[in-house]
Amino acid sequence: MSLPLLPTTAVGSYPKPPYLLEARRKHLRNQISKEELTDLEQRATREWMQIQEDAGMDLFVDGEQYRGDMVAYFADEMAGFAIAGLVRSYGNRYYPKPVVVGPVGRKAPVTVEWYKFAQSLTKKPVKGMLTGPYTIAEWSFNEHYPTRRELVLELARAIHDEVIDLERAGAKYIQIDEPAIHTRPEEDFELATEAMEIVTNGVSAYTITHICYGDVPKIYPAMLRLAVNQLDLALKNEEFGLLETFKKAPFTKDIGLGVVDAHSHRIESVDEVADGIRKTLKVIPAEQIYVSPDCGLKTRTVDETVGKLRVMVEAAKLVRSELTGSRAHARA
Amino acid sequence: MITTVVGNYPKIPDLPAPGKWRSAVEKLQKGQIDEAVLRQVEDEVTLEAIRDQVDAGVDLITDGQIRWEDAQTHFARRLRGFSINGLQRYFDTNVYFREPVAEDEIGWVEPISVTEYRFAREHSSKPVKPVVTGPFTLAKLSRNAHYKNFKEFVLAAARALNSELRALEAAGADVVQVDEPALCRFKQDYSIFADAMDVLTQGVNAKRVLCTYFGDVGGVYPQILSLPFDVIGLDFVAGHRNWDAVRSESFTKELMFGILDARNTRVETTDEIVSAVRRITEVVPPERLMVSPSAGLEFLPHGVARRKLRALVEGTRAAKSALRGVRA
Repeated sequence: MSLPLLPTTAVGSYPKPPYLLEARRKHLRNQISKEELTDLEQRATREWMQIQEDAGMDLFVDGEQYRGDMVAYFADEMAGFAIAGLVRSYGNRYYPKPVVVGPVGRKAPVTVEWYKFAQSLTKKPVKGMLTGPYTIAEWSFNEHYPTRRELVLELARAIHDEVIDLERAGAKYIQIDEPAIHTRPEEDFELATEAMEIVTNGVSAYTITHICYGDVPKIYPAMLRLAVNQLDLALKNEEFGLLETFKKAPFTKDIGLGVVDAHSHRIESVDEVADGIRKTLKVIPAEQIYVSPDCGLKTRTVDETVGKLRVMVEAAKLVRSELTGSRAHARA
Repeated sequence: MITTVVGNYPKIPDLPAPGKWRSAVEKLQKGQIDEAVLRQVEDEVTLEAIRDQVDAGVDLITDGQIRWEDAQTHFARRLRGFSINGLQRYFDTNVYFREPVAEDEIGWVEPISVTEYRFAREHSSKPVKPVVTGPFTLAKLSRNAHYKNFKEFVLAAARALNSELRALEAAGADVVQVDEPALCRFKQDYSIFADAMDVLTQGVNAKRVLCTYFGDVGGVYPQILSLPFDVIGLDFVAGHRNWDAVRSESFTKELMFGILDARNTRVETTDEIVSAVRRITEVVPPERLMVSPSAGLEFLPHGVARRKLRALVEGTRAAKSALRGVRA
């Protein structure tokens, strides 16, 4: 399963189609069973796998149709958590924020069955998709552990076990999202780094972490020490302003290059996205670049998402052909 | 010794109800309702936020800032000179705001929060304080694409917001609160901060509250006691080191004592609040104390926020009678 130059991928979530949103509401009110809901989650997952095939993407995600929120999903499936209620993230976006009420740990593998299901639908590789320990801790209320450190390291051991199970199930690419990693850079970055070492310890799969928003320059180049192969970052959100930061010290890992805005309704043009990739090539070699949206796309509509994915793939193909063309030319 | 809040309050009820505010925003985005209908819903939710505070027995309330998308853009959108950019993390929280960009001379055009203040006052049996995001925090959380340095930017924002404070005072506000959480993070710019506070409060005679949170004021204490404010709000949860600060040098103003953790669901017991109040009265007498949560309550789910308000009032009442016992 080798990938082309500038492989295209996604960060994790896709929007849930209206029928699934409706089913989730009904399930919450006990109007439909868990089995009925799961059937629709599988149907939606199949649809997103097909959309990724049709768009011509290279490295797939399962779209997280069965997850509500990236932290609450794990909290629901693991021991030690309760859900406190909804809190606002931004605008009218809310998320169910968990509360740590006892010792945290896995009761059983959390994501492995969904990974296997998604991978069974395609010949393209599908990423195993996890939320990192620092982010789970940071985005939960903690009523149990005396320190954040104890909670984070305990969660790191649990997520490590999940990584191992995904790898055994055949996952070649495993992403551990840490969007909260730069919440308290001075105070906690070492802790987050230590936690990631635990998570990926002894793993041979290709590992990725997604970090978005917040002050990335503040943790660069320190973030290059994170124990993963790829850092997936939101470049488009600030119109590739981060490239200035990356000029200060060589970007020594692969980058998941966010080229379309995940929180705007506007669908970018192919030229605009291609320009973003070209700009990046002046700072980071093509061999290190994966092309991706800025963030999970679940807050977009289905149409906006399909539009953004298509544009992203077209732009990557365009720049890929420019590169391979010029290389062929150079060799000639 | 009275009870008060820092400012914002949850806009939606607990699950499973989506809440009318959230539904209205969705309908507006789909073009099913117009702005006027959303404003109406915001009025209704504001009334509920006021009712929660009044019912809990809070002495000095806010309107819950239901209409604020975030603390920065609520003002920046209505001042001249700003455009609004992408999402940024709000300090060390998991809340995101849209980044204002100063693209031109910042200026005050018309009252921003006066109508909101009047509405809350008319519908509250308890006194209401309007809250304005301070120029230092506004500038720190914005991008400067116009001024040649940060100081010029802050002072321009201070001049603009001075007009807002004057407008609030003209509308009858006898207490005005300025929120400056960024002070705790950028103490190295204290001299600019102090200059901005002078400009901001020029000619404002209402009782002035400076509210800080998300950290401590160690390093700029006791200097902050010479700022032109009557009340200073300090966060004793995220800013645990504020205990050292207020003990290092006598606290000469009124203190807004942020002691209930606005960012954790665990609700403080009456005993905990009584003992914290006892400790603080060793350095600040009760008549110069306002007891409050450590920050806005919108970080919590609605039910927990309401329980925090009740704990605040019950804890403060118990502390008062405990202190009376001591004095008798």
